[in-house]
Amino acid sequence: MAQGKTNLTRAVLLLALASVFLITLDLGDSNSTSRVRRLFDTVFAPVENVSRVVTRPLSDAWNSFRAYDDVVAENNRLKEQVALQEGAAVAAAASVRLSQELLALNGLPTLAGINSVTAQVIGETPSNFSQTVEINQGSNSGIKVGMPVLNAAGLIGKVTEVFADRALVMLLSDPDYALSVKVVTKSSRTPVTLPPLPTEDAPTVDSVLDSSQTSTTSSTTTTTTTILGFTPTVTTIPAEIISGGGSNITVPIASQLSVRETGILEGRGPGSQPIVRFLDATTRAEAIEVGAPIVSAGGSRSLAPPDIVIGVVSRVVERLGTAGPVLEVELVADLSNLSFLRVLLYQPITETGR
Amino acid sequence: MLGRLLQVVASRWFRLVLVTLLVLSLQTTLFSEIRPFGYSVQLIAIYVAVAGAVHDARVGAIVGLVSGLMYDAVLATPLGISGLVLGAVGSGAALLLQPFRDPTWWLRILAVSVAAALGEVLLPLAKAVVGLGGWLTARVAVVALVTFVGGLVFCTPLIPVTRWTLRERVSIGRR
Repeated sequence: MAQGKTNLTRAVLLLALASVFLITLDLGDSNSTSRVRRLFDTVFAPVENVSRVVTRPLSDAWNSFRAYDDVVAENNRLKEQVALQEGAAVAAAASVRLSQELLALNGLPTLAGINSVTAQVIGETPSNFSQTVEINQGSNSGIKVGMPVLNAAGLIGKVTEVFADRALVMLLSDPDYALSVKVVTKSSRTPVTLPPLPTEDAPTVDSVLDSSQTSTTSSTTTTTTTILGFTPTVTTIPAEIISGGGSNITVPIASQLSVRETGILEGRGPGSQPIVRFLDATTRAEAIEVGAPIVSAGGSRSLAPPDIVIGVVSRVVERLGTAGPVLEVELVADLSNLSFLRVLLYQPITETGR
Repeated sequence: MLGRLLQVVASRWFRLVLVTLLVLSLQTTLFSEIRPFGYSVQLIAIYVAVAGAVHDARVGAIVGLVSGLMYDAVLATPLGISGLVLGAVGSGAALLLQPFRDPTWWLRILAVSVAAALGEVLLPLAKAVVGLGGWLTARVAVVALVTFVGGLVFCTPLIPVTRWTLRERVSIGRR
């Protein structure tokens, strides 16, 4: 009896030490812990699948009991919203296309050039202390750790664990998630309004590009630029705009274009909006408007390609001293209701080899 | 060789791994979908606490450490964190009952629920210790409350399960 107790004590100590050892290995991004997980998944996945099939009626019954009224109300609201969005979507699609053409023309990376895999969410996190979802695609589809994941609205997170036919996606709201982002704000300078002029006296004005790079003259405009890879073309402006018909011309100047503040987006757990911090200390809170869009910053070491829509600024919290403001972000993607996702086959440099 | 293998397969520790796989599969399927007030009932923590309450602190710790390691392999958390936390839950449930010579059924249920709920408080603490902060918020209290109520509900059906799983008298290392 005493021998048995001693053996049990030894087993407890051994398992506890093994746990501590595994924690240190895992926090050091060791490949061996990933192998252990994959090995366990081989055993566990069939049991889980059987369990999922067996318990499906129970969870369906629970969901229908709990959410029926909400689903009906949401369905009605969505029908109305779809009708409203249909017109806007056409215009938006045209803008996106134009933007991607411009980016491609200038040799800048676009999402259109990145392959993706469509996956379905098959499970939520079983823990109350992690924000992950499980998807039904894995390494067999080319998915790797670190790849960004989107839904129809925008970025939702990144792949953190990959198995053969499934993967775990850490959501943006997880406190362990961080991503470099850009906040698109407007300049505080007022636009320049030129009086109507006769065609023959038409001036050279600053255009969207820097004044030293672009010149615009009369009704037929020749644009020249030094932007690498951009081939200038002749643009003909309709005569009535600057023919001196009595209407003023408002010309945007370079400094009036959108300003992009960069910062780090961090999750704060379920129920709390993610925040953007580490903005430039010189950024004034007034310079950032509530509702300003937030997109991924991109860059060689970023976790996501540039310009993926993430959300909008919902609140600007100014801080004392030299610390820049902190922004609360309202995500465009509804993380509580995820179904079909798109995994971009883009593995950041920082995650290669995992 | 075959005899040794059969001995291992017939042992309660092998049965423990199989039963824990089933409990874990329920945790990752049914109990990750059924979320009262948006929180998942931690069946695995309740199961471990029951094992500790029905047996002793050592057995509770072993069940917790094994179940926790398996749970960590499913989650995206560092491997071993849940092992340590659930190990503490298993032994904690037994220690809560230690002052009582012959605990009543309701006292056992209470001890299981309290230990499981404490486990839900310990987990974000353990994550914070290894540098994964951000979870120590007011919602921990609600999570613990939901698990406590879950413990009151699921303790009774889990008692015969753990008794059957760990009924063998042969201990680890005995030939």
